[in-house]
Amino acid sequence: MDSRLQAYLDGDLPLDGLPAELRATAAEWDGLLDEIRATSPAGAPLGLDTRVVAAIEASRAASRPRWLAWLLRPRMIPVPPAAVLAAAAIVLVVSLVGLPGGSAVDETLVYVQFVVDAPAAETVHLVGDFTEWQPTVELEDADGDGVWSGRVPLLPGVHEYMFVIDGADWVTDPNAASYQDDGFGQQNAIVAVSTLNGT
Amino acid sequence: MKPDARSDIRHVSDAELVRQTLQGSDRAFGELVRRYQDLLYRHAERMTGRQDDAEDVVQSAFIKAHRNLRKCRDPERVGAWLFRIGANTCKDFLKSKRATVPVDTMVGLVSKDGNPEREAESGVVRSEIEHAIGSLPAEQREAFLMKHVEGWSYTEMSETLDVSVPALKMRVHRAREELQVLLRSYGS
Repeated sequence: MDSRLQAYLDGDLPLDGLPAELRATAAEWDGLLDEIRATSPAGAPLGLDTRVVAAIEASRAASRPRWLAWLLRPRMIPVPPAAVLAAAAIVLVVSLVGLPGGSAVDETLVYVQFVVDAPAAETVHLVGDFTEWQPTVELEDADGDGVWSGRVPLLPGVHEYMFVIDGADWVTDPNAASYQDDGFGQQNAIVAVSTLNGT
Repeated sequence: MKPDARSDIRHVSDAELVRQTLQGSDRAFGELVRRYQDLLYRHAERMTGRQDDAEDVVQSAFIKAHRNLRKCRDPERVGAWLFRIGANTCKDFLKSKRATVPVDTMVGLVSKDGNPEREAESGVVRSEIEHAIGSLPAEQREAFLMKHVEGWSYTEMSETLDVSVPALKMRVHRAREELQVLLRSYGS
């Protein structure tokens, strides 16, 4: 590539400093770079900060003092035969009945965009079964237009959720595809999440 | 967290957050993460081409940063220090992937596979550009993206990555030359 074109693209040479035969190529590069910039990704998914701090706390818990690790270390403990039979019976019953979530789970995360119009709100949190109904995911309104939004990674499946305005008012998403009675006189919004291959 | 407590911490300086984190405050570190997660995440997504990989990289970078925070010599510039850890984590991730995953899969972008219907879809030009960028060596890709997409000056890049300005210019120049060749081959 011509060194003068490189200098132009580095910002070291103005466009009119280029010879005429290079200006068309310079314009092509400008268009190409505009195209690349137009594909700018959105910001970090919501709740990333919470997950980072949780991982740090988990790592701290993993580095427990030696005496505690010693206490928790697995050991061989003699067990009477009758207790073994009783334990085997419990395992068999659980196997036959099955546990919720015991089947193979597709752990591919799908990023879902949540949006709510709440012009008077000071804060808006997203709560749902995926946050154990705790307000750990705060939506953002960066431009102050009253439209709060954020992307959240969810496992494929059907999820129930609501918005919490200013830490107190639980609000149902008016734009949800479907709803489920929450048992407290309100309705949870439903979002169905699937991967591109339909799982 | 109460909204008033949250708004208080939003006005605390980066250096003070570093000091509080070193004294054991997870809340202070959480605020540092909130301030810089978008910067690190956008770079990571451009470098890896995948949202889930980008999130893993950014999470891993912040955990490393927390473990090594005492090594941050200039707490007022902790943002640049965090970005450097994020950028290095991206490159380590790409190196580890390269051994087992082809580039086309690694960057998660549409590849030229000769399928006329797919190539006729709108956005194919953009996909070709993304694929070309994803094919660049990691250091060239990093320098090119920082210079031309993220808007860093060569001086800022040099201070953040601890690489000389001439070396960075060389990486960007080579990236442009490589892109020119790749995009011509797609167009032919």
